[in-house]
Amino acid sequence: MELVVCIKQVPMVSELPWDPATGTLKRELAEGMMNPACRHALEAALQLKARQGGRITAVTMGPPMAEEVLRQALALGADEGLLLSDPAMAGADTFITSRILAKAVKQCRPDFDLILCGCYTSDSETAQVGPQLAEELDLPSAAFVEEIDMKKNRLIVSRFSDGFIETLEMKLPGLVTVSTQCYTPRYFSLAGIEAAFPDGAPIRTVRAGDLGLDPESIGVHASPTRILKVYAAGADKENIVLRGAPKQIVDHLLNRFGDRIGGAMGKDIKKNRN
Amino acid sequence: MSDINPCMKHQVVRKAVREFAEAEIGPIAHDVDRDARFPWEVVEKMRPLNFFGLQTPKEYGGADLDTISYAIVIEEISRISAAVGLCLTVHNSVGIYPIVRFGTREQKQRFLPGLASGERIGGFCLTEANAGSDAGGVETHAIKDGDSYILNGTKIFVSNGGVCTTPLIFATVNPIDVRKGFSVFIVEKETPGFSVGEIEDLCGMRANPVSSLFFEDCRVPAVNLLGRPGEGLKIGLNALDTGRLGIAAQALGIAQAAFETSVKFARERHQFGQPIAANQTIQNYLADMATEIAAARLLLYRGCALKDEGKPFSAEAAMAKLYCSGLAMRVCTTAVQIHGGYGYSKEYDVERYFRDAKVTEIYEGTSEIQRMVIARSVLSAPA
Amino acid sequence: MNRKNEIWVFGDYRNYFQNRVTLQLIGRAVELAKEIKATVCAVVMGHDLDEWIGEYMAHGARRVYVVEDPSLKEYDAETYAHLTARLAAAHSPEILLVGATSFGREFAPRVAKRLNTGLTADCVGLAINSDGLLVQTAPSFGGNLLADIVTPQQRPQMATVRPGIFKEIPHNYEAKGEVIRIPLPKDIPARRIRLIKSVRQTQKPQKIEDAAIVICSGRGIGTQKKFNSLYELAELTDAEVGATRPLVYAGWADHEDLVGQAGKNIRPKILFSFGVSGAIQHTAAISGAEFIIAVNKNPQAPMMKMADVAICADAGQVCAALIRELKKRIR
Repeated sequence: MELVVCIKQVPMVSELPWDPATGTLKRELAEGMMNPACRHALEAALQLKARQGGRITAVTMGPPMAEEVLRQALALGADEGLLLSDPAMAGADTFITSRILAKAVKQCRPDFDLILCGCYTSDSETAQVGPQLAEELDLPSAAFVEEIDMKKNRLIVSRFSDGFIETLEMKLPGLVTVSTQCYTPRYFSLAGIEAAFPDGAPIRTVRAGDLGLDPESIGVHASPTRILKVYAAGADKENIVLRGAPKQIVDHLLNRFGDRIGGAMGKDIKKNRN
Repeated sequence: MSDINPCMKHQVVRKAVREFAEAEIGPIAHDVDRDARFPWEVVEKMRPLNFFGLQTPKEYGGADLDTISYAIVIEEISRISAAVGLCLTVHNSVGIYPIVRFGTREQKQRFLPGLASGERIGGFCLTEANAGSDAGGVETHAIKDGDSYILNGTKIFVSNGGVCTTPLIFATVNPIDVRKGFSVFIVEKETPGFSVGEIEDLCGMRANPVSSLFFEDCRVPAVNLLGRPGEGLKIGLNALDTGRLGIAAQALGIAQAAFETSVKFARERHQFGQPIAANQTIQNYLADMATEIAAARLLLYRGCALKDEGKPFSAEAAMAKLYCSGLAMRVCTTAVQIHGGYGYSKEYDVERYFRDAKVTEIYEGTSEIQRMVIARSVLSAPA
Repeated sequence: MNRKNEIWVFGDYRNYFQNRVTLQLIGRAVELAKEIKATVCAVVMGHDLDEWIGEYMAHGARRVYVVEDPSLKEYDAETYAHLTARLAAAHSPEILLVGATSFGREFAPRVAKRLNTGLTADCVGLAINSDGLLVQTAPSFGGNLLADIVTPQQRPQMATVRPGIFKEIPHNYEAKGEVIRIPLPKDIPARRIRLIKSVRQTQKPQKIEDAAIVICSGRGIGTQKKFNSLYELAELTDAEVGATRPLVYAGWADHEDLVGQAGKNIRPKILFSFGVSGAIQHTAAISGAEFIIAVNKNPQAPMMKMADVAICADAGQVCAALIRELKKRIR
């Protein structure tokens, strides 16, 4: 099978380097990592390849440093990497990203059978690139899948979807986005990393011009959406701080918020009279 | 773009090992130290990821990493558990490296695949009751008997002692002239006459089963002799040069952990209505820690790079070991101080770092011995 | 262009009894419509749709576009996207809102792509600004950041919206409206996905994902005994107990109870958080909580910063005091 896995490099953050004074995210302070859901998608591809044979091409779009996630993909068992990197691509939203990815796949892997994407990214969380890529390439798609298998020349997928467990059969070529509930990613082996850095590494860098894309059609200005502002969640919360003896704290809490807590419980919580 | 980028490779190695260590060792690091338990379950998970064949050639099932990558692996594992880091550095450097370097083709084929897969665990047994820094005091002897040598003697303070299955044993084949007969044997644990003493009750590195090994009329095939008879010192010193890079990396990992936990604590701990990180004294501590750790890392990587270039690196390895171990002690002492009473409590990891750090100044050559090695190199340089 | 100034809400009825997001969106659309003088419309496709048409009208839709055909009985993102995009192209709505259900999040991006318009994902807020544009508030970085996004030029302005954010309007079965039935186009493309099997997920009586009150604990709770006392509090408050990764690793809690990345996402009305520092892997999973009461010795912990009530004290002691007080006070 000819498998394509789309991978995004996202900031590795356990606590956000967020500057409340300027209201910006200090992205440059964060190390990059492979988006967790993309790693699940790669794992699904690796397991499919182990059963079906074939080749895995990892594709990423990002700054030159995003090469790192392709190296990681090679270390985990992908066969080739495709780095879509061009200043003209900076700031692309899902609409533009899917346009660029589609163009690259069409040009570099026109014979693909299946494209696998992570179900969403940990930074922007839109979950839109997968379905929009399917739309660009006129493919059938299934989002948030948990199990993938081949039966003859059809793909069988299962997923949880709005209270139902669905099993679907898809004609190929097609696209799936893989959920983070299954396909727990393997760890990197050190031999795998060593093998991912040979002299003539199978990583190709592709620029906007190589894809015949007009910079005007892919930049931040081509995006239909505009971000007005970004701000910390909970900024509007009161953040009441309570200190003191546990008994006092609990009294205060229940006197002030007992109704709210009781409401959620469906019971009545008495207020203390004193 | 696509040409080799060693920095990116090292970055990938670091992230990969950190991810593994934090997820698989992090949750048990405190407990295995408390219980002095060797974490076999972690070993099990490390085996298929090539942690036991870090620099072993690919043909024997190893990862064949460069030495900077090797140092990063040891640093990152030790950042979470220095005791597990100890197991790996002893196994990979002083346990395996001499076989790779001095072994015959037959010896490599016999021993390396098992060691590199982690099925067998290596060790390095030089120290005895009357020998340590001075190898001349070794009393374990191996007497040729037909196609075998008969080993008798006792090795003490053997890292991995309780778990090693294919250790290297230093013994003399000439009890009259110990130095002249000083030799190395690859001895398998199953050999009759090989036994393990009690696990030592040590200050730190408690999850590593450091023990004595006893040899009583232990018959070792002559083909298990590594190098020629009398080459023991050469092999030993060579092994220790690379081993010191590993111990330096281990010390660096401990220092890094102590530093990170100090930064976190200084930000969170409030006194007099502000985080203690707002105090200039604390800031100075942290600044010095950060600077010295950065310097130590460069010093270590220089030694590693020289080794990979095939250049002499004894003095540089000794410098790295001397500096990183001293640094680990200084950083941990300050880290405990920053933590105040909490730093003295076993509930906090920094107390463990503090205990683990000390031995890095002692084993694989004390700081005093490192200075000796460095001074010799300095004084022997052409004027 | 014949712009009728309509706000469309996509009728997602499949999991109606668990998820009333379509009604919630109609409710919000009614409010937004007042500001831009628009008509609230529902768009619904499938088979046997009368029940839903009635529901949507009763909850505030004044016009319902209906594509009804036995071949549409099973949800199919591609087919539904094809039909919706054609309808939208013909009627040019100002705004198209879709519930951020599993289906909605696959369907809406396809519609947006076909209509060449923007789409904001999983919104937690919708408002009209002074330019008359729909301001779509979307979370990112696990709910730690919010972004206000608009679609200035393209139409419709599209958003998927998280269930449970907006309130539905109480039903009024007397409400009148217009039903526009559109025949199934003949040139509709063949389906490329076949549904082999669909089984309703059997649900436990109360799962942590659906619980109104959740008690979550992290390493800061201290001991397993104190952790276990949370179950007593849970019994008193009818809550479910969740845990962070270290506690699951320690074996105090099952993996089933893990709240965080690779675990459960929760959106309770009240979240009690005991001794949780607030790593992003965890906070991402609780961003849907309405009201957070966090207990931690460290006031600087991220969890304390994002709490509505931050209690700076020992988690075990507060839990014990809470149990004692609630026993006295619950009627």
